[in-house]
Amino acid sequence: MNSISGLPLTTIVTFLPALGALVVAFSPGNKPDWARKLALGFALITWVVSLAMLGGFVATQGGTQYNEAYAWVPAFGISYHVGLDGLSMVLVVLTTTLSWISILASFLPIQTRVKEYMISFLMLEVGMTGVFVAQDLFLFYIFWELVLVPMYLIIGIWGGKNRIYATIKFVLYTLVGSLLMLVAILATAFTYAQTTGSWDGAFDVAKLIAFAGQGHLNGTFGFFAFGAFALAFAIKVPMFPFHTWLPDAHVEAPTAGSVILAGVLLKLGGYGFIRFAIPLFPEAAHTWAPVIIVLSLIGIIYGAIVALVQPDLKKLVAYSSVSHMGFVTLGIFVFQEQGLQGAILQMVNHGLITGALFLLVGIIYERTHDRTIAKMGGLGSATPVYAAAFGFFVFASVGLPGLSGFVGEFLTLVGAFKAVPAAGVVATFVMILAAGYLLWMFQRVTFGELSDFLKGLGSHLTDMKPIEAMTLVPLAALVVIFGLFPGLILNLIQGSVQAMLSAAGQVVPIALAVWR
Amino acid sequence: MSFADAVTLAPFIAAVLAAAAIILVDFALPGRKVPALATAFIGLAITALLVAVTGQSGATAFNGSYRVDALTTFLDVLFIAIAALTIAYAPDYLEERGLPVAEFSAVLVFAMSGAMLIAGSADLLVLFLGLELMVIPGYVLAGYHKTDGFSTEGAIKYFLLGSFSSAIFLFGLAFVWGLTGTTRIDGVSSVLTQIVAGKAALSPALGMGLAFLTTGVAFKIAAVPFHYWTPDAYQGSPTPVTGYLSVGPKIGAFALIIRLFASALGPLAVEWNIVIIVLAALTMTLGNLVALTQDNVKRMLAYSSIAHTGYMLVGFAAFGAGKLEGLEGLLYYGAAYAFMNLGAFGVIAAIQKRPGVTSNLSTFAGLMRREPALGILMALFLLSLTGIPPTAGFFGKFYVILAAVQAGGWVTALALLAVLNAAVAAFYYLRVVVYMFMREPDAEIPVIRHGRLVWVGLAVSTVLTLALGLFPGILLELVNTAAKAIG
Repeated sequence: MNSISGLPLTTIVTFLPALGALVVAFSPGNKPDWARKLALGFALITWVVSLAMLGGFVATQGGTQYNEAYAWVPAFGISYHVGLDGLSMVLVVLTTTLSWISILASFLPIQTRVKEYMISFLMLEVGMTGVFVAQDLFLFYIFWELVLVPMYLIIGIWGGKNRIYATIKFVLYTLVGSLLMLVAILATAFTYAQTTGSWDGAFDVAKLIAFAGQGHLNGTFGFFAFGAFALAFAIKVPMFPFHTWLPDAHVEAPTAGSVILAGVLLKLGGYGFIRFAIPLFPEAAHTWAPVIIVLSLIGIIYGAIVALVQPDLKKLVAYSSVSHMGFVTLGIFVFQEQGLQGAILQMVNHGLITGALFLLVGIIYERTHDRTIAKMGGLGSATPVYAAAFGFFVFASVGLPGLSGFVGEFLTLVGAFKAVPAAGVVATFVMILAAGYLLWMFQRVTFGELSDFLKGLGSHLTDMKPIEAMTLVPLAALVVIFGLFPGLILNLIQGSVQAMLSAAGQVVPIALAVWR
Repeated sequence: MSFADAVTLAPFIAAVLAAAAIILVDFALPGRKVPALATAFIGLAITALLVAVTGQSGATAFNGSYRVDALTTFLDVLFIAIAALTIAYAPDYLEERGLPVAEFSAVLVFAMSGAMLIAGSADLLVLFLGLELMVIPGYVLAGYHKTDGFSTEGAIKYFLLGSFSSAIFLFGLAFVWGLTGTTRIDGVSSVLTQIVAGKAALSPALGMGLAFLTTGVAFKIAAVPFHYWTPDAYQGSPTPVTGYLSVGPKIGAFALIIRLFASALGPLAVEWNIVIIVLAALTMTLGNLVALTQDNVKRMLAYSSIAHTGYMLVGFAAFGAGKLEGLEGLLYYGAAYAFMNLGAFGVIAAIQKRPGVTSNLSTFAGLMRREPALGILMALFLLSLTGIPPTAGFFGKFYVILAAVQAGGWVTALALLAVLNAAVAAFYYLRVVVYMFMREPDAEIPVIRHGRLVWVGLAVSTVLTLALGLFPGILLELVNTAAKAIG
């Protein structure tokens, strides 16, 4: 256990935002600025803690670090066990980073019920971080559900016109999946207890994975249990055909809600596949893999095609998410080192890039109160800074080499070509489509004469404000850094990648030295 | 009655005396609510103390027709808590409508004593006696707002179907007595064991008796298709009464089921469990589906209480399939359900303090703005009813489903049906949250001041709803020993 001066850092990084929420709750109700600044302050401290943990993280060491374990419900072997492996570490930092950026991005757009908003956001951060650090399935499930409530409120209270429909759809979709997963979790724990004769460790992730490694969770049981886990994660990712909640939720959510939704919430699904579903049920994972690969490909193509015809900026980005997240599940289920590395990189990059794109859409929406692409045009001359930033992230999303989006997709495709060449071919072609819908959108929004609609706004159409730029600069910096040095992430996750592949039973170690 | 009998029965005697004392105090100081309420709470405290002292002794009274075991103690404490919380919520609501608080408390404590008698009965006749003592005050309470047409209508429906089902139940008891020659629970059990072992024939008459008994108790717990009295009785009753009716008599009836089916009819578990499984599936599914379409929150919670009966039956089905965890889960669920549902009704009663405020969804619009504390608490109770962690409702579901998964076969299928139902239920519970948090009210509703007792009651419900979710360990041992008293 490496911890700085013996502090329980994992618990701190998880629950510090909860403390922040409590403090915000007691801040004076008539001073929304206090709530804003307190929330930002706590999110920033949490971020610093997570960076300190990243600094102390030993990449070469396998397994989880910063472990803390206390018995919780001993009768069923449930414990409060938290810790981080490389993948968790990367995703926790992504969460803490996007959280403070989102809170900062909410300063201007959110003007009603600020206090409640900030409390919801901080509690959301607790849930998300908790999912990534939980090393006990019961605890994991609690955090998994905890995410639901604040997001439900964020979309439902501060969302757009159809927000109530969207938020209920979001909750119900997620709940159906997660409740079936709960049954699978309980059945798995019971199988463990029955086989070993004791409930001790029946919910502990590491012990269950070791148990699964002895082949106890194979066969029909594994087939259905994996199905339940996979359904919960597939809804979250979201995979075709379980994606229909996503465009609604994205379109109705406030900007920061969309950023977190795309940036972190969707990653919960990918993380779940890598950390739980596949290591626990390796045999079933292979049985199901063809289905998931096909669905991923459909998602990649379908998302891209639908994005191509979207008249609404935010919906376009939302559908591009469906397409991009298809690469993640594809990369995971080819069971190749590069595929998995690519999938994880893609998760991080999609979080950064799509998060930024949602921020950009939010910035223009603040001025126009409209997101119809057809009404835009000529922003390049009217708001050059905005247009430049927009262009940067559009190119990052397309996968321009040198920016981070490229590496993830490239590695995913390498993995796909090695395992399932046909899938690689299809996915590669879709990248052309992606360039199509993104660049065409960019062209319609920024090039040419300033549209009549935008002209009508007059002086309301201002360029980016400093506070808005502050939310984008860190994301842009990370996109460049990870584009040039993907090894920074790849080194961290190497242990997790090997762990999953050895659990899945097919290790094909091929070093791509170029990318290290 | 020997002295030893009196000691064993002490909690029950204390409860009856407490109810009588409330009436006497009200007689001496008419119309004063504080002395009456003080008497009620002191009486309940003494009862609870006696339960704690005499509890789990395994002692029997009256030649073995009444027995105190761990299950009795667990249920007694639960019944006392339910009564105390109901009495905490009620005065605000009743006073505004000019309804006497003292009588209400007395009738409620009488009903509680009936439930306690069920919990300790070791004889079928005592069981029936307890049942009637529990439900007859219930009829009175349902019609307590006698100038309100809906209250009277609900009470009449409750009374007619309730006495009808009691008669059916009694008819079934007669069959069992006639064929086994005894009314003692362990006596019935041992005769049935012989029958099952093939030493005596299982007569069609016994099967009929079993059918009557099942029908009778299915009415009492409002299992589908014997649930038709519930929505009207619940919607019509004064709100604090609805809260009580949805938990007190329900858990009382489950105590009856446990004593009757698990103990007396235990040897026939294979036979009756098929019926329980079907009842559980129908009850939770239909309760949830109908709750979806309700616009009145009280009526919605009435249907949702039917659904919760279904979840508890899943636990009982797991027990019927041989898993003691099923019974533990049922007891845990019962306790969790009691506190979260009473909490929800406490909030509704507080909102409805002013006469004329309906329990329609529109009443809840903008509650978060108007009375944020009530809004947040209601949201917590509704999330707990949905089964979102870390609340009592979640761990209750967790326990029941864990047991059902262990039982295997059809009971595992019930577990899957239960979680799908929970997802459906999320829709109508969250609808209330939508109104509270995301809708603006049609008209300005003035803020109401609530009595201190209401806040205390809500605080207790809140703490228990959270504590039973976050630290389930505090109750696990209790439900375990309670269940072992049966298994």
